[in-house]
Amino acid sequence: MAEWHNYYNLLELTQEATLEDIRNRYRYLKNLYGGDSIEIRALGDEFSQELRADYLRRLDEAFEALNALPEKNKAIATLPVKDLDDDLRHWIAQIECFTGASLKGVRERMQVDLKEIFAVTRIQPHFLDDIEQEVFESFSAEVYLRSYLIEYARFFSLDTQRVLGDYLPRYRAGRSDADS
Amino acid sequence: MPEEQSARQTSIWAVGGGKGGTGKSFLTSSMATCLALQGKRTILLDADLGGANLHNFFGLIRPRSSLTDFFEKKVPLQEIAVHTGIANLQLITGSIGSLDSESINHAQKQKLFRHVQALDADMILIDLGAGTHINTLDTFLQADKMIVVTVPEITAIENMYQFIKSVYYRKLKSIFKAYDLNTLVQDTWKNRTAHNIRSLKDLINHLKLGSDQICSIFEREMSGFVVHLILNEVRTPKDILVGENLKRVCMNFFGLRVVYSGYTSYDEAVQKNINNKESFMLFNRLSPVVKEIRQITEHIVTQTPFPTPEELFDGRVA
Ligand SMILES: Nc1ncnc2c1ncn2[C@@H]1O[C@H](COP(=O)(O)OP(=O)(O)O)[C@@H](O)[C@H]1O
Ligand SMILES: [Mg+2]
Repeated sequence: MAEWHNYYNLLELTQEATLEDIRNRYRYLKNLYGGDSIEIRALGDEFSQELRADYLRRLDEAFEALNALPEKNKAIATLPVKDLDDDLRHWIAQIECFTGASLKGVRERMQVDLKEIFAVTRIQPHFLDDIEQEVFESFSAEVYLRSYLIEYARFFSLDTQRVLGDYLPRYRAGRSDADS
Repeated sequence: MPEEQSARQTSIWAVGGGKGGTGKSFLTSSMATCLALQGKRTILLDADLGGANLHNFFGLIRPRSSLTDFFEKKVPLQEIAVHTGIANLQLITGSIGSLDSESINHAQKQKLFRHVQALDADMILIDLGAGTHINTLDTFLQADKMIVVTVPEITAIENMYQFIKSVYYRKLKSIFKAYDLNTLVQDTWKNRTAHNIRSLKDLINHLKLGSDQICSIFEREMSGFVVHLILNEVRTPKDILVGENLKRVCMNFFGLRVVYSGYTSYDEAVQKNINNKESFMLFNRLSPVVKEIRQITEHIVTQTPFPTPEELFDGRVA
């Protein structure tokens, strides 16, 4: 229980927070502490790379944990995603690697429009499209992409860790190619 | 001392914030005008370090008597006060270098505080000017409402963080001094790397973990400790969010409670009114800034936060 308490504390929310509150706050804090706005840059050394990485990691952890709480999942049930039938489950289990293309495949199998994802997650359709097309330049920092992927994966009830584990190395490789 | 404060009728507001030119004097004089127009007997105290200039905001020439007369000739504060031309509003002017000056010793400082607190008024608004001189910090800490002003610009924000940290550190030291624990804070901070202390917040957590006594002292002394934040010269809707962000950063990194009381827009009319020797709050009916200042004043009186519009939080990076 103490753990939940810490998660809520980190997001500066109370236990009454809805899934939407959690998602909005997570997104806001992630943008704030992951970005380099003047408010953050003015902190200088006070906010070291190490401290930042640690904070962002804890944010992700809190977000994922709170999202998985059964009482919050009542709200998830209202998402427009159809129940996964066995066929589909099987098909998803066969996916070797969650690339942009395979994410798109999942979405098309489930007959979901990008706009529908936007309606729930408020992630702009062009970002969703860029994830599927692997247009990596659209994501100036990994933290943004990461939070979008978590939401994308959750929307389709995919295994978040697997999606992150497959997709992010592709992003990193793509970005370092672009840099060199 | 806390008991005396709660029994007192007069409410003292102090406005600081580190950097010069962020609109402290403009906002202090405007809020004072606002309160005076509501019928509260208000006194403005210009305690700016080398740049006492509040008289300009009322089209007055620099008053002849100042805090120097109070310190050197023992002239009572009430006699130094001049009328501003606005009902219920008087002005006490500082002198060049008054609070900055090393020549003001502890006893004099205490005397000034006592006399300010004894002034016959409903509201006393103190314009502290720039900087983090110890006298400035101590005056700030004596106020019932501690207010910082900044603008959405990186140096101003850096200075504001510095100011807030200095205030907080000074407050901690004074608390611990009162309980004879003062060396503890300093020693812990000096050895911060050894204790893995990376911020003021870490320092406090470290001290609290160390002893139940410190924990309870802290709870008692700091429970009402709140800094009010005003963001001036806002030019875009996105700027409004800066105040909200600053509030969070202060809570997260310094462990300090901050209320974002509101923002004021950038408006060239401000400068025009000052140059025309017109009081902004009286002569300007068109500027959004007038309404914004009224709201901020109300928020500070009632200690309510500015309601940042929801849609601003959703500002994702494009
Ligand atoms: N909201 C505003 N819009 C436009 N100009 C402003 C605003 N606030 C302050 N100013 C201008 O900025 C200058 C500095 O303001 P001042 O109150 O003297 O700052 P400080 O007391 O913090 O040094 C003044 O010339 C004032 O007219
Ligand atoms: Mg000034």
